[in-house]
Amino acid sequence: MRELFVREIHILLVHPIYIMCMVVAPLLITFFFTSLMDEGAPQNLPIGVVDLDQTTTTRKLTRMIDAFQSTKVVAHYTSMDEARHAIQKNDIYGFLLFPKDLTSDMLAFRQPKMSFYYSNTSLTAGSLIYKDMKTVCTLAAAGVGQGIMQAKGMTPEQIKATLQPIALDTHLIGNPWVNYNFYLSAMLIPNTIILLIFLVTVYSLGIEIKFRMRRENDRDNKGWLEMAHGDFGMAIFTKILPQTLVFICVFILVYSYLFGWLHFPHPGGFWRIVLLAFLSVVSAQGFGVFIFGLIPSMRMAMSVCSLWGVLSFSMAGTAFPVFAMDAPLQSISWMFPMRHYYLIYQLCILNTYPLTEVLINIFAMLSLGFLPLLVIKRIERAFVNYAYEP
Amino acid sequence: MKTLNTIFDAWLDELKMISKDEGVLLFFLFLPIAYPLIYSWIYNNEVAREVPVVLIDNSHSAKSREFAQKYDASPDVCIAYRCGNMSEAKSHIGREEAYGIIYIPHDFDKCLGRHTQAHISIYCDMSYMLAYKAIYQTATAVCSDMGATGLTPLYFEEVPIFNTTGGYGNFIIPGVLVLIIQQALLLGVGMIAGTRREERYYKKIPDQEWKIAGMLGHSFAYLMIFSVMLAWITLIVPRIFGFVSLVHGSTLFHFLVPYLLACVFFAITVSSFVRYRESVMLIVVFTSLPMLFLSGVSWPLSSISGFWQGVSYAFPSTFGVRGFIRMSSMGAELADVQHEYFGLWIQTIVYFLLSCTIYQVRGRFLYKNQDSTTK
Repeated sequence: MRELFVREIHILLVHPIYIMCMVVAPLLITFFFTSLMDEGAPQNLPIGVVDLDQTTTTRKLTRMIDAFQSTKVVAHYTSMDEARHAIQKNDIYGFLLFPKDLTSDMLAFRQPKMSFYYSNTSLTAGSLIYKDMKTVCTLAAAGVGQGIMQAKGMTPEQIKATLQPIALDTHLIGNPWVNYNFYLSAMLIPNTIILLIFLVTVYSLGIEIKFRMRRENDRDNKGWLEMAHGDFGMAIFTKILPQTLVFICVFILVYSYLFGWLHFPHPGGFWRIVLLAFLSVVSAQGFGVFIFGLIPSMRMAMSVCSLWGVLSFSMAGTAFPVFAMDAPLQSISWMFPMRHYYLIYQLCILNTYPLTEVLINIFAMLSLGFLPLLVIKRIERAFVNYAYEP
Repeated sequence: MKTLNTIFDAWLDELKMISKDEGVLLFFLFLPIAYPLIYSWIYNNEVAREVPVVLIDNSHSAKSREFAQKYDASPDVCIAYRCGNMSEAKSHIGREEAYGIIYIPHDFDKCLGRHTQAHISIYCDMSYMLAYKAIYQTATAVCSDMGATGLTPLYFEEVPIFNTTGGYGNFIIPGVLVLIIQQALLLGVGMIAGTRREERYYKKIPDQEWKIAGMLGHSFAYLMIFSVMLAWITLIVPRIFGFVSLVHGSTLFHFLVPYLLACVFFAITVSSFVRYRESVMLIVVFTSLPMLFLSGVSWPLSSISGFWQGVSYAFPSTFGVRGFIRMSSMGAELADVQHEYFGLWIQTIVYFLLSCTIYQVRGRFLYKNQDSTTK
């Protein structure tokens, strides 16, 4: 058994592809996402203004929206057509349109209408500038109204109640800063690592079959199965275990960076994070071995794992919620370790719900980890029969 | 004439190789055909409707019931549970039965009647982004609807100008479609290169010295297959699923020619790093998402730092995705995507030259090193 471990560790160290995919790639991805979304929420998104009124009021409004955090007025256009064209050229994400005679109509209480246009082609940018432009428009209407009401002798309390009889208090739980980095990095990075675990697991098994066939009499390659004295379960276990340890360490390292260094919110506490790391690695490896057992062709198994890993980004339900998908997809989502990861993270780390709420997800991840038991015989047959096909 | 013959031979040889290799066929045919269908299916519903919400009504008045009715009547949310207190409501959230809480305080009706400002609170976790949007925007709309006095001196109108429904599929799919082509090429061409390397090493098959003419022949083979795939992805898939497609055929053709060329030569360049058939998957698959991000789909382009912008210029997908989205979702003309168009041509030239160099030196360089190459 010691011999087997030594052999596996030797393989992991000697072939650069393992270190690349198990350590370098996860760290690179962590750096990529966290540095890309460094700002937290996108700021100073470029927008335009079409000012057909040209008064101090409209200029004041322009300055006002420019001062907002997410938006920045980068250009003035003379017509609506020109501004639309600028959106198509990707110069701006939206624009405000002040119609002619806006100010005079407003003062004469002819109730004019101004408009703002926003492009939803980028949903993130679209919803951010929507929020800012809507606020400015509301404030603009309120500002004028306030002047008139003050002149009529209303108290500030009355003015507030007249302008906005029902106020909405929004409480954003878990992430009051609306920091996208907290949401996206915390999901995309583990998902990428899980994808890599799928692939590395299948690759390391498949390459045994592939090279067993090719270099039977090769130097250091005293048969892997012979070393295990025919105990196939042990052979697989010793192959997977060193990888499990490495991946758990990588997870902990990445988490220390995210939660420790970058202070991602984690009111759920440290031990739950460790538990989640353990569950992710075990379930992803289990799934990888299982797929390899089902389809003991290296290329097919790796392709299925790629498909599964890439689809995880969608099926986790981080961006487009799972409950809005078609019913069959909602059921399939249970087969994605990432889906359970998301639920556990969301409820027990970002929030402080007790672990009992996600017991079923923990159980599901563990069962994914035990899936290989179902196919161990098939893998063994595949190995004995040297079934590598290119 | 001799060169033409070599090109033809290389072309035929490559097609034979592709048709015999199931692994490559998987990437060249199955992936571009099936992935778009799977993705389109996932995002088919576009928006989240009837997001379940918990209501805590402490006011128990006609006004608060009116609010609840109006809120429930909206298309985006539904009141799934009515609870007496906060901890009861939270347990529904914990069980994933609802995604937000609406809290109406006991003095809601009194405040409205007394003409002081009334408050309504929503508690929502923003990590369910679309759910949050539905809950928040509906609440805003109902609040301002119930509070409307007709006294406002200025009306305003909000106009979504492109992707008017705010649909998630229409937002993400065009980018994914274009990216799939590049990734399929990277995987397939990489796998072919890996196979060649293995054969050269293990079976001692003497490699044919293809040189530049051979590279041209090989590229023609890829181009042939992928022009069909590109047509499928950009013209047919959007129609099947009813995604917005505002682009004219000829404009699209002009733009996609450099994209396809850049992708092919980029794939050939990258394939020189592949040692084994299968390792290409380890290298390529996990880069898909970062490439999608770099193209500015999920994260706005204006917020991507200079460093990552620089990195993104290395990938054809960056320009391809940006240009395609603007043309197909926003109806931009070729002149509007000039920057991307030229970017793709520059990439084509750079990667073409790199590919030539690789084919020219590959033979010599690899034969010398092959003894040190182990598993």
